Amino acid sequence: MLVLRDVSRTYQDGQPVHALRATNLRVEQGDYISITGPSGSGKSTLLNLVGLLDVPTAGSYLIGGMETADCGPATLGAIRGQLFGFVFQAFHLLPGRTAVENVELGMLYGPHTRRQRRSMATEALERMGLSHRMHADPRQLSGGEKQRVAIARAVAARPRVLFCDEPTGNLDTTNTAAVLAVLRQLNQDGLTLIVVTHDSQVASEARRRLRVTDGVVDET
Amino acid sequence: MRTRRRKERDEIGRLGIERSRLDIRDLFREASVSVLSNPGRSLVTVVGTILGAAAFVASLGLGSTLNQQVSTAFDLRRATEVLVEPEDQATTDGWLQDAAIGRLTRLNGVVAAGRRVSLGERPMRRMIDLRQSSTGVPVIGADPSALQVMAPRLTVGRSFGEFHERHATPVVMLSTTVARQLGIHRTGVAVFVADQAHTVVGIFHDVERRPEAMAAAIVPYSAAERLDQSGASQPAKRDVLVETSPGAAQLIGRQAPLALRPEAPAELRAVAPPDPRTLRQEIEGSTTRTTLLISGVALLMGTISIGNAATSGVAQRTGEIGLRRAVGARRRHIFGQLVLETTVLGGLGGAVGALLGVLTISIVSVVNGWTPAVEIRSALFACTASTIAGLLAGLVPAARAARIPPVQALQR
Repeated sequence: MLVLRDVSRTYQDGQPVHALRATNLRVEQGDYISITGPSGSGKSTLLNLVGLLDVPTAGSYLIGGMETADCGPATLGAIRGQLFGFVFQAFHLLPGRTAVENVELGMLYGPHTRRQRRSMATEALERMGLSHRMHADPRQLSGGEKQRVAIARAVAARPRVLFCDEPTGNLDTTNTAAVLAVLRQLNQDGLTLIVVTHDSQVASEARRRLRVTDGVVDET
Repeated sequence: MRTRRRKERDEIGRLGIERSRLDIRDLFREASVSVLSNPGRSLVTVVGTILGAAAFVASLGLGSTLNQQVSTAFDLRRATEVLVEPEDQATTDGWLQDAAIGRLTRLNGVVAAGRRVSLGERPMRRMIDLRQSSTGVPVIGADPSALQVMAPRLTVGRSFGEFHERHATPVVMLSTTVARQLGIHRTGVAVFVADQAHTVVGIFHDVERRPEAMAAAIVPYSAAERLDQSGASQPAKRDVLVETSPGAAQLIGRQAPLALRPEAPAELRAVAPPDPRTLRQEIEGSTTRTTLLISGVALLMGTISIGNAATSGVAQRTGEIGLRRAVGARRRHIFGQLVLETTVLGGLGGAVGALLGVLTISIVSVVNGWTPAVEIRSALFACTASTIAGLLAGLVPAARAARIPPVQALQR
């Protein structure tokens, strides 16, 4: 489904920095992949490239057999919005909007009507066990609740792949366990998961484990 | 362009998804929610515009209010007064005859016209104390019509009338200043004017026209003539005082010499105030130019302040912008939303500023007892100009924000 062939990413900032060296990777529907590695090793670069938040400087990246290098920005945006979902360590919830409005924002640029968005956002929050926090401002939520709202936002439109960048980086043990349980359930329901983490407990949940060292990816 | 679009549609179709889009209602909703969900940031963004619009409306409105005030005061007093004097005081008195005054009074626009004679200072003292030294007081003789035009405001007593004029009755009206000098507080007492006894009939504290009367004693015109014949150190000055309808002073000023002395109008000189409309236009012109300049600068500062605040707002919102790009927003969606936000803010700032301006005009007018003149057009202009200023100010920061790559935005 997602295929990377000799994909690399080099930053030209004076001295060229090879953040990711020629990488080959194939991601199938339903995979649960963890990406680990030291800070600055290139794991977030890999996630950003696969998630189309960044573009490779060399190599070929195919989605459903289609070469992404040939795609226009509108296509890439549509893929990000409808096939992919993103969860970030910093949550990126907008203050001044309720939890359900934040979840709706994830579908704002997609094909759904406002009513459909509200219904899908409500359903996603219920699946995250947050039906009692629908109308809370993010500033009133605990860290675990914030991350579950962020996950609800990422999965409400039923994407095929969920990208998580340090999803438990800001959470305590109890909340980490809750978030991991949610991710496990989503994967069991058929969602492909790609999780960047420092946490070995989180990495151990995945069936496929990638380790990035100095821009080189190894599958263990 | 069309080929690229078709290609994109094909690509998106192959993946079973649809193009990213943003409904116009959703765009407006997003912009207004963004503006309202962070009132602090919105206020900082728009404070310059509020002040600019308020300054614009208040300065124009206060200018109009003041002009109206100046015009009202001007119209009521000076603008309805004409004084006709001879070029040479030796001019024969034919122009002061009843027939001449009658011709003048019949002119359209003349409310009243009457003769006056200024005798200059005459010795004046109380009857009761013959040892008291006399005081020099200017004496004005006025017939009842001239007295009506001067319109003294009485503290006590009454004005003299036709009867006194016809019989040259020795009566006198004193201004409060003169009355105080002579130690007189009531009517009915006698004063000696050039050693001739006159009865005080009234004491006045103000006059509507001819303020020189405020330091004088006024006697009937006929009585003044008699005083003049009784020996004078200074020659008497004669004039005709005319009250006109509002706006007629200039015209009457031109016609009066001819009406009074048709055989030699050039021997008379009519002093009419400048045309109030011209004066008002001059005042309005100069104040409007000044206020427009000030307001233009204020609105420009408002635009710059929105632009600055929007630029720093974009810096604070890079995370949000990155998130929007990650969930499918295209550059044009980001650009459109941010421009709409500054436009909405500009419009709101203009409306709030206009209201503040109107409030300022109302408060200043109430405090000063003026009639407030608020021009709705200036308030509407302030709102429109602020909205356009908001739109223009948002273009550059919005274009910058739309260029931020999502990965860079999400790293913040």
